[in-house]
Amino acid sequence: MYLKELSEIPGVSGDEDKVRNFIRERIESKLDEIRIDRMGNLIGIKKGKKSDGRLLLVAHMDEVGLMVTKINDDGTLSFAPVGGVDPRVLPGKKVRVGEDKLGIVGYKAIHLQKSEEIKKPPSYENLRIYMGFSSKKEAEEEVEIGTYVSFLTKYTEENGRATGKAFDDRGGCSILMDIIDLNERYDFDVYFAFVVQEEVGLRGSAILMEQLHPDVALVLETTTAGDNPEIPEYQWATHLGDGPVITFAHRGYVADKRVFQVLIETAVKHGIPFQMKRRTAGGTDAGRLARRGRGVPAGVISIPARYIHSPLSIMDLGDYRNTFELVKRVVEDGKIMEEVSG
Amino acid sequence: MNLETKDLLMELSRIDAPSGFEKEAIDFIEKQVKDLADVVKKTRLGGLIAGVKGGGGLKIGIFAHVDEIGFVISKIEDESFARLETVGGVDPKVVLASEVKIYTRDGPTRGVVGLLAPHLQKPEDRKKVPMYDEIFVDLSVGSLVKSVRVGDRVVLRGDPIELNGKIVGKALDNRAGCTSLIKSMELLRKYRTLYDVYYIFSSQEEVGGPGAATVAYELNLDYAIVVDVTHADDAPPFYEKISLGGGPVIGFGPSVDKDFWKKIMDIAKRNGIKYQKEPLPGRSGTDTDEVQMTGIGVRTALISIPLKYMHTPVEVVDPFDVDETARLLTHIVVDLEV
Repeated sequence: MYLKELSEIPGVSGDEDKVRNFIRERIESKLDEIRIDRMGNLIGIKKGKKSDGRLLLVAHMDEVGLMVTKINDDGTLSFAPVGGVDPRVLPGKKVRVGEDKLGIVGYKAIHLQKSEEIKKPPSYENLRIYMGFSSKKEAEEEVEIGTYVSFLTKYTEENGRATGKAFDDRGGCSILMDIIDLNERYDFDVYFAFVVQEEVGLRGSAILMEQLHPDVALVLETTTAGDNPEIPEYQWATHLGDGPVITFAHRGYVADKRVFQVLIETAVKHGIPFQMKRRTAGGTDAGRLARRGRGVPAGVISIPARYIHSPLSIMDLGDYRNTFELVKRVVEDGKIMEEVSG
Repeated sequence: MNLETKDLLMELSRIDAPSGFEKEAIDFIEKQVKDLADVVKKTRLGGLIAGVKGGGGLKIGIFAHVDEIGFVISKIEDESFARLETVGGVDPKVVLASEVKIYTRDGPTRGVVGLLAPHLQKPEDRKKVPMYDEIFVDLSVGSLVKSVRVGDRVVLRGDPIELNGKIVGKALDNRAGCTSLIKSMELLRKYRTLYDVYYIFSSQEEVGGPGAATVAYELNLDYAIVVDVTHADDAPPFYEKISLGGGPVIGFGPSVDKDFWKKIMDIAKRNGIKYQKEPLPGRSGTDTDEVQMTGIGVRTALISIPLKYMHTPVEVVDPFDVDETARLLTHIVVDLEV
């Protein structure tokens, strides 16, 4: 499991280099071929014994974050979100600015707020990053417009749970790396794709089809739990601790019936707990893959996590292990290939 | 072993000591000051007095509160979620997606203040700030989840950092003040003073509590200087802005003694200390308000350290302001003529 290291690396959409380098160094020797494509997707190939089919496994390397849009006269920075970041999670946080600089998202002291201001959510218009500079000139020497900004959270494990940033989708990346570590050769070819720019509109995965022509695709995601205390159980998307999440449909795509069925049968056969994603909000690269080229039957397996797209999300380590177990069995059994070719 | 101002600020910021729960901060400060004072004693209400004997004339007290804002667990739901009540003023906007530390009877444990991911939010959710009746702590990430009880103290976690020479961290309101008192005690060792000087590290300021006034009474002080923090780089439009790095802020208004105030301004000028002025037309919102009307009355002064983003986990102070405040305090007790 590489979740700790992966979680702590900055890699906002469009700036995935550090994540890609980390993964590449660790998988290179275990695969037959490795390449980085025009958009920056990292693709690893494990040739099959018979090479009679192509299974594509996908996880995205990027995380949501921020970008500097303006340097203000007082030396603070204005910024906009890269991907979906609720501005309400930002006040009072430390952030990483560019490669290795630090900043904070401050907020007007509660004493200075008028009563109507207290209940007004923060917005990108009024939030600023402070780096200790007192003038625009001082700031411009250190920061440029367009600089990426990422959350800054140390990974921790306690009580069977992990906390950290970017679990969406470093969780999926870590599972793909675990599968590569098994160093198995299957009958069919397996393509491992660590893709860029998922959080800004499922972009990196768009160029995979033309390069790889897979017969079937399986997307490994980290998905929202939504099992917060004030939310009635019937509205939960998933529940932490109940095992890997299997998606039947999400925005713009209904999972391929055969793939969906194989995932469930595999879980049942091997006694792996699993749950359905009960909400169809949000999309994954499965939707993009299915509508590129001639299309491909695709499915989605996710690790549930609470409070994703914030600086601090929570994952259950049992869910991680069971997700790995399910993916491993699906690939080993190979039934997924038989179903789509038959 | 004297710590540098910067290190002292960071060490003090790391300590969790919300109002009524000041022991760890007080114990740390006691270690720092025990060799700098003639008498060190704990107060009845959880504070600390460090006395430096002078000529035995008047008694001057210098106050800084050690407590910080925080929370208390008010309800536990579904075994692994809890609700919070604030201790002092904590903006609900600065707590989401943060880690908290909960002090249970079996030891500290972790929690996360969660927020529904954007994917599942309704459009109307985005337009509102969750208040404390909606904010929840996810206790499932701590090994002592079962030990958490209603009444346990909670603080937002956050390690201090340095940003371009400034120190950023929680609880710098008023550990910055505490630091300037300790630094002033170090400086005072080079001088003799006519007066008995008491450095008082007091409790429960953030809840408007009794920590400072009771000590002022016990010591029967003639003069009191309260050292606290004030808002830097952000002021209502009709107020002069106070700058980070602009030096100590000398307050003036009804809660401050007019003559003492004048003398402090003179002392600052004579010693080349850069200072800023702050009008206090009503209550000052510090311990000064209570200390002034203690016993037969105390002649008070308020000196504040500029601080940005007050009551957030990322309060900012400039160590220069802390050092200059220390210098001013020492000169006041050495140079004051009455």
